[in-house]
Amino acid sequence: MLPESSYSSSILPKEPLIKIRPSRPWSFIDLRDVWAHRELFFFLVWRDVKVRYKQTLLGALWVILQPLLMTLIFMVFLGMLVRVPTPGMPYPVFLYAALLPWTFFSNAVASSSFSLVASASMITKVYFPRVLIPAAMVAVRLSDFLIAFVILAGLLVYYHIHPTWALLVLPLLVAHLTILAITIGLLLSSINVKYRDVGTMIPVMLQLWMFVSPIVYPSILVPPRWKIVYELNPLAGIIENFRACLFGLPFNRSGLMISALITLTLLIYSAHVFRRMEDEFADVI
Amino acid sequence: MQTIVQVRNLSKRYQLRKSRNTHPTLREALMGSLKWPWARVSDSNGSKTDTLWALRDVNFEVAPGEIVGIIGPNGAGKSTLLKILSRITKPSEGEVDIYGRVGSLLEIGTGFHPDLTGRENIFLNAAILGMKRAETTHKFDEIVDFSEVERFLDIPVKFYSSGMYLRLAFAVAVHLEPDVLILDEVLAVGDASFQKKCYEKMRQVHSEGRTVFFVSHNLQAIKQLCNRVFVVNGGRLTEGADMHATLAQYGAESPPNKNFQTPTIGTNSDDKGLTVPTPLGAG
Repeated sequence: MLPESSYSSSILPKEPLIKIRPSRPWSFIDLRDVWAHRELFFFLVWRDVKVRYKQTLLGALWVILQPLLMTLIFMVFLGMLVRVPTPGMPYPVFLYAALLPWTFFSNAVASSSFSLVASASMITKVYFPRVLIPAAMVAVRLSDFLIAFVILAGLLVYYHIHPTWALLVLPLLVAHLTILAITIGLLLSSINVKYRDVGTMIPVMLQLWMFVSPIVYPSILVPPRWKIVYELNPLAGIIENFRACLFGLPFNRSGLMISALITLTLLIYSAHVFRRMEDEFADVI
Repeated sequence: MQTIVQVRNLSKRYQLRKSRNTHPTLREALMGSLKWPWARVSDSNGSKTDTLWALRDVNFEVAPGEIVGIIGPNGAGKSTLLKILSRITKPSEGEVDIYGRVGSLLEIGTGFHPDLTGRENIFLNAAILGMKRAETTHKFDEIVDFSEVERFLDIPVKFYSSGMYLRLAFAVAVHLEPDVLILDEVLAVGDASFQKKCYEKMRQVHSEGRTVFFVSHNLQAIKQLCNRVFVVNGGRLTEGADMHATLAQYGAESPPNKNFQTPTIGTNSDDKGLTVPTPLGAG
């Protein structure tokens, strides 16, 4: 038998630290809990970055090669053969300036969508706010984006494109794009836990999404009467203004406003869906 | 009596799908919601479901410093209970209040990444279990010391044996210093000397006034370590007035499990065929 515990029990809190209750349909993601686990978030990001660079021969080079190779392909087919018009800058830099944020976005959405299923062993064995998993995947891709950004800077110098003050808006657009990526990632990752066939749809969806966004062509090619519909795609406003920042072109304010509104609405919706499904993750994964 | 864990009317219900697919397809869900637009998507898979109560109306209170052994046959609801206490899954009904920090080790090597080194995994695993980086740095030497894997600290854990995995994982979990430590049957992998070390550590945890929940099929270990024992069976939890009587009765009713190690029988893979008398007579 055990000796009596020599514990002075006066230090127990009056209120329970943890209250476990059946799930309620209308609760929001517990942001305080997420904040309390912020260190885990950085560890998850660090883990994925580290493992990637340990395993792959080319490491950081891949991150740069992906948008660069895509630029090369579209440069040949659309720039040289089809001769897509640009608003005053060489096609390669026009292209890279959009393929860079697009690569970030599509990789972030794809990897975060599969992240929960891939972390099944953690989800069924340890507690932590699940939202950290898809969010960490987006952060990993954001770090790739920052590395690949160096190439963009090189291209701007090479083509003698001088930065304007508009460049200061760029971080805000990157933040906007990151939030959009997290939004879509939350939605798809949680649905993917329950309905695995979502996973097969994601590559197709991303491919379509790329062509309905002004990435390989300028948005001036879109007929004005379709403009409103076109801008309902939250990515359209972001990519167009991303270029505007870099090349000192006029901003499309209305496009950005629509994008921000749609992103926010979607974020609230995805957070709700995620929250509601989160309680069952461990049971259905 | 002061309470650190209070469980009231806890139940967990699972819907068993009688379909061949474990995962409903999106098509099924969409078709379902077309047929019954008012039904929730998640309930309208269109296939028959069966209800299983993994836990049914469980009530108990545990005081600081208690070591609670949980026994019961496979599929009785032990792991479900631990999962609810660790907040991995939500109860269907009832409430749990915990007046302290919880650390749980339901499986070894959870969150270990095979390509990272032992050193890196200590920090990662500690973060997953909720330890702050500064705390981990502070306790790092102690953790390494306890795990006895310092020679292999800088090689990726994919080259570790399962025993080494366990050592590292358990070392991290106990050095978390949670107010409530939840251990599923994880120690079975360790060798005798490490098991002994773990039991000693659990005694120390107890003497520091922290609470342990401990699932095991090793009744001998439970008898030595625990001061209370819960029997879970068919989702119901019972606690006899006298722990030793409960253990003796349970041991007599259920044939020894393969994890049930005694010097006389050793381990045997066939647990149904054994009809050896229980070595708990002395209890």
